Amino acid sequence: MLALLLVFAPLSILSIGGGQATIPEMQHQAVVVHSWLSNGEFADLFALSRAAPGPSSLIAALIGWHVFGFWGAVAATLGMFLPSSLLMYAVGAWWHRSQDSRLRRAIERGLTPIAVGLVFAGAITILRAAHAGALVLATAGAVCLLQSATRISTHATVGAVTSIYLLIFYFT
Amino acid sequence: MAAEAGSGNETRPEIRPSVGLPRLLAEFVRLGTVTFGGGLQSWIHREIVDRLGWVDEDTFLSGMTVARVVPGANGVNIALYIGFKLRGAAGAAAAVLGMIVPAFCVILCLGYLYRRFGHLPAVHFVLAGLAAAGVGATLTMGIKVGRRLPRDLATSLTAVAVFALVGVLQLPMIPVLLALVPISVGLALLAKR
Repeated sequence: MLALLLVFAPLSILSIGGGQATIPEMQHQAVVVHSWLSNGEFADLFALSRAAPGPSSLIAALIGWHVFGFWGAVAATLGMFLPSSLLMYAVGAWWHRSQDSRLRRAIERGLTPIAVGLVFAGAITILRAAHAGALVLATAGAVCLLQSATRISTHATVGAVTSIYLLIFYFT
Repeated sequence: MAAEAGSGNETRPEIRPSVGLPRLLAEFVRLGTVTFGGGLQSWIHREIVDRLGWVDEDTFLSGMTVARVVPGANGVNIALYIGFKLRGAAGAAAAVLGMIVPAFCVILCLGYLYRRFGHLPAVHFVLAGLAAAGVGATLTMGIKVGRRLPRDLATSLTAVAVFALVGVLQLPMIPVLLALVPISVGLALLAKR
């Protein structure tokens, strides 16, 4: 159990740019170094973690569960999220406190175009991973139009997309 | 929006609605359980900025960029930052727990079902759709935010460069940001003079 914490806590600190960045190292640790699971099992858990809601780094919970049951899942999740959250808290608090300095205003203004670039880069990365076909592009376009034109909620959007895809799946 | 200029001691009028802790927790629990297929931050933007107006666009954007540079899942980090902004340390804890605990329970249930019943093709198909919806949400946010950028050459070039290097050429994000952030912030500092 301690081993789980020792594997995931460093990964947490290394997961710069999001959870996906650590997947290769996680696979190496879990499959090769500790032989907690096979390569195929890891791939299955990875697919599952993408299928579940919430952050994809929750794959840590599945690995922990696979190895040591429920408390293993708790330990792995703590290891994966606690260190990075503490760090984010420290940085966020500092960022909050330095309000209204000229430097901070400049940082905020300088970061805005970077954020916009990253947002569009994120969209194209997901599209690549999803092997975008016509249906995927149409869905993305429709959701974008709907959200821009109306105040439709996230829950309604997710519900509608799920129902439409189920209909398409069973009736074509 | 900030029409009345604060002429008192406060330099920046706080136009933040007061959000109770239970309400905050409930909102992030809701977000934590429906946000599939990547693009977590776009769904958070949709609900917290677009629909609820709990934080303004600039606060969200700067927080989002910080959240992406700091290690950890982006969505969890943004939630933490928003929770902190609204309710301090307790708010940060509530937001993080709201994002992780329900999703943790769901993923263990899925793991159990998967062991019992194996893989369902329909589920796989629906997930691809939800990923596509996530792309749509991301585009909405990008367009909305991009419209508010200052109309000057340096700003547009920076945004396009980040998109091209990270999105199209798939270069690792951290080195790109290490190179471009100082330039962009430096330009903003110069422009203020």
